[in-house]
This record gives sequence, structure tokens and C-alpha cells, in this order.
Amino acid sequence: MMKPRAYVNFDESFCTGCTKCVRACPTKAIRIRSGRAAIFEQLCIGCGECIRVCPEGAVTSTISYQSFEKSGRVSVAIVSPILYAQFPGVMPCDVLTGLNRIGFDHAIDLSYYLEMYQFAAEEFIARNREHCETPWPLISPICPVISRLIALKYPNLLAHILPLKPPVGMVGPEVRRQISQKYGVAESDIVLYHLTPCPSKLVPLEGDALAELPNVDLALGINDIYPKLLEAVESIKDRDLSLYPFQQLCFVPNARGPMWGMSGGEIAGMNVDRVLAVSGLQETIGYIEKIEMGLFRDMEYIEFRACSEGCLGGPLTAVDKYVARSTVQKLIKMFGMGRRIQRSKLRRLYDKGSFFPRTRPAEKRQKFAGSDPALSIEEMQRIEQILSQTPGNDCGVCGAPDCRTFAEDVARGHADLNDCYRFMLDKYTR
Amino acid sequence: MPALKKCFHIKGRDFNHAGQASITVQNLLKKLNFAPAMIRRVSICGYEGEMNVVMHGGDGLFCAEIDTDRITVEISDDGPGIEDIARAMEKGFSTATDEYREMGFGAGMGLSNMEKNSDQMDIESTPGKGTIVRMLFQTAETDSSQGA
Repeated sequence: MMKPRAYVNFDESFCTGCTKCVRACPTKAIRIRSGRAAIFEQLCIGCGECIRVCPEGAVTSTISYQSFEKSGRVSVAIVSPILYAQFPGVMPCDVLTGLNRIGFDHAIDLSYYLEMYQFAAEEFIARNREHCETPWPLISPICPVISRLIALKYPNLLAHILPLKPPVGMVGPEVRRQISQKYGVAESDIVLYHLTPCPSKLVPLEGDALAELPNVDLALGINDIYPKLLEAVESIKDRDLSLYPFQQLCFVPNARGPMWGMSGGEIAGMNVDRVLAVSGLQETIGYIEKIEMGLFRDMEYIEFRACSEGCLGGPLTAVDKYVARSTVQKLIKMFGMGRRIQRSKLRRLYDKGSFFPRTRPAEKRQKFAGSDPALSIEEMQRIEQILSQTPGNDCGVCGAPDCRTFAEDVARGHADLNDCYRFMLDKYTR
Repeated sequence: MPALKKCFHIKGRDFNHAGQASITVQNLLKKLNFAPAMIRRVSICGYEGEMNVVMHGGDGLFCAEIDTDRITVEISDDGPGIEDIARAMEKGFSTATDEYREMGFGAGMGLSNMEKNSDQMDIESTPGKGTIVRMLFQTAETDSSQGA
């Protein structure tokens, strides 16, 4: 098995060992060792909480700083509509135009695929409603962090994840073919960039069972292209759309796409009644734990987002999530939420199986299997015994997020008892 | 090696923290690599029992004793007790108030659910004094358990 890599990088020269990231990490993957943050890579789910809380800017997404540069190849931007929300008062079409000005040859607005996804999800729920073997509630597969969290910590719930391709995963090989025809270049001369607010959209490991984006080449953080793009967007004064080859891609403007970035935006566009939208990691974990205990079986679909307020709150966005939300609300007022794709066409695609991924969610477990080896009852008792001797106030001096994790680290051989000041004191005062 | 024993206080009417004991035990069992079906049964029963205390029993104690092949959960409280245990075990029988029903509880399935999901369950109750619910879960026969 290939060694998994973390979704984040720590810059040792900036890290002060303050433990903020250690405490923020939902999977307890980070420790302070020799005064610097160190990560258990196999436990990283790419949520980006550490990026958010680091006061020194020492943590970056592994996709950060892959700056976009115009090359000889045809560069295609796959635009998450969250991008529009970063530009208050600017029309989505102008944002796309801006992308053209900074060097992208072509842009594909994901809204189209979002709508396809919403249809497929509705259809799946409607067709399976009466089957008692369907594990209700179904969980949205959209947030990759949530899928990984479930695979790592709640594998019993993997069957609850709706087995559909996420929208970016639907950007199929035919898109590449069309572009190659349009520009008269070989398919190998096309680079697809996914512009995303999410540090975990593109998996840094080849062959990852979680990767559902086989047709996308690179991911770019929205915050990384933002400064250049802002400049370009501001320079658009006279809006002569005929100048731009991809104006056709700004097909009928609609707020479904931008709405998607808000918590609740995914389900707002779906015809399913018993739905819930939950955002923020802490709240999500609370719900997941309750689902595991058999609650919420009367719900059909739950939209979880690791980031509070949804993808608009992603760690790689450029503007504040509340400002972004207000921009989206304006777009909703302007454009409404109508449907644009014909149902009959979608139903044909559904019956053909176009919406179903090759990797079933249950296989996701494989990647994380064994990353958190089981403990024996004896070891657990040792942990309890160590825990009873620690200060118990989760001070963080040992470099672990809390005393229990420290005790576990000792039992697993990752830490020394004397890393805890209490044991150290005992040693010298006894 | 004696079994691992963990106890938690349950605070009556504290819905913000209700379920914490069951969740902690659930996480512990996962770390100990118990079969998923077993964990699910313990969690469902633990949670139902814990909620019963939060709603009816006032303050209580939740104790789990974990051994490689068996888990016992004992939930005790000093609440009003159960008048007629046989009746309380009936599906759909409930003494929950409207307030609790509005919160989605009180369907009268709690105790029968607990009985269904545990391998053995005893209730000891003295009206006016309190209730003790003991549940036993065994690993061997439960790997392919019925679940909830």
C-alpha cells in the first residue's frame, strides 16, 4: 500500500510550537515534537482546521502556491461557483472573463454538474425510499472531509454515504474530447484546473481510493489566484461579451451554483422533504455520533459540511464567509433557483449509470484501515492508569492535544511518560 | 486481568450533554476493536437508557464494564422509579410529557428496544426511590447480530 500523505504542510521555520493546531485537529493527528508541529499523516483528513487556526501562517494546503502560469497547453478552469461569491457586486460572467484575462483559455462552470448531481440524488432517494435495506439517513458525499472522517472514525456508517459521483467527478472524458476538438489540440495538451475553496479536493496521493476526480489534473486554491483575478476583474469596464470565446459558457445565469456554497445550499435545490443541513466539524461529529447510535433514522438525507457556513467558509477562500454569503443572497434575488437541465435527459443518464462512481464508498475504508490500530483491554487499562496520574487539565505541555491522547500515545509507544511534566516532577521530587 | 470499568454521572434534564456517556463508551469500544454490530447494540441501549435517566430519573450513574467477550452496562438513578415494569416494557407505553414528545422522545420504544438489543436485561425499581437497569452483551454470539 502506498503511504498516505497529509493534505497540509508545516513550515518548521514559522512554527512556534504553540499547540493551536494540535488542539484544533478533529482526528488528533498533530503533536508538538521538539518544539515543532508534527503530523501523523495517515490520520489527516484534509479539513484544514490547522490552516485556519495557525497564527503564524506556518500551515498550508499541499495544493497551495501551485501558481497558475500560462503554458503552451490549453488551460481549462473548472470553476466552483464559490468563486463568484468572492466578488461582491460582480456578475459571474465577469469573473469568468477575468479568468480569461489572467490566462485561462476556457472555463467550465460547475453549476451544470451541481444540478445534475442534485437530480441524481433526488432520483436515488425516490427510487430507494421504500427499500428497508437502504441505510437511512443517507449522508451527502459532497464534502470530501466528511467522507474521510467517516472512513477513518466511523466506518460502520460508510454504507450511509450516498453512492454518487460528486459534481467534479462528473466532469468526464467527453469534456476533454470536446475541448480538444474546439481548440484543435491533442487531449494531452489540455490541463484541467479545479478552482476550489477546499484544501482536500485534490488528493495528493496517486491511486487514492477516495479520488473521484480522475479527469482533473490540478487543483488551485481560490485564495491563490484571487489577487491576480481581482485585478483582472476590476479592469473589466466595458463589457463587450462578444470578445470572449467562452461567454457561451456563462449559460443562463442561475443562483443554484453560488447557493451550493452555503450550508443548506445543496439540499435547497433538491426535492426531498426529510433533510437536514449541518455545518462545522464539531456539530457534524456530534450528529455522526448520534447517527451511529441509531438516531435520525426518520431523515432521508443529511448534508454535512466540515466548514462552518459550508464551502463559502472553506480554508482556501479569499473573502470572509459572511460577506460571501451576502453576495450569494444577492445572486439568488437576481437570478432565482430555476432548473435548467431537462429531466428526461438526466433520467437517461441515471439509467445508464453515469452518476455512479466506480469506487463504492465501502472501499474507502481500505485507505484508512490500520491507521489507528486497535488496543487491547490491558492497554486500555494502562491508558486509564496513566491518565489518572496526568494533571488532567489538557495543558498541552507534552505536545498532545489532551491528557487522554497523551496516555494513548504512551501506550502505543509514540510518547514517553516523562513528556508529561507531572511525571517529570515526580521523578525529580521523589 | 479484571474488566475495564468506566463510570459516568448523568445529569437529569441536561439535554445538552445527554448521550455523552454512551458516546464515550462507543468510542472506547471502537478503539478496542469490538465488532461493529456489538458496538451498535451497546450504543443504542446505552443511549436509550441514558435518555431515560435524563428525562425521568433525575441524576444517575452510567457504568460500563468491558471485558474481551462481554460488556455489562448498569444505569442507575434515584428518580421516581417504575410502577409497573411489565407495562413499561410494552411497546408504545410511555409516561413522557408532551414537552418530551415535542423533542422527539417518548414514543414508548425505549425499554423494549433495549431489551431487544441486549442479550440480557434486568430492571430493579422501587417507586419513589429509583431504578437500576442492568444489561449484558456477549461478543461470541453477537458478531452477526440483528442490530437495531
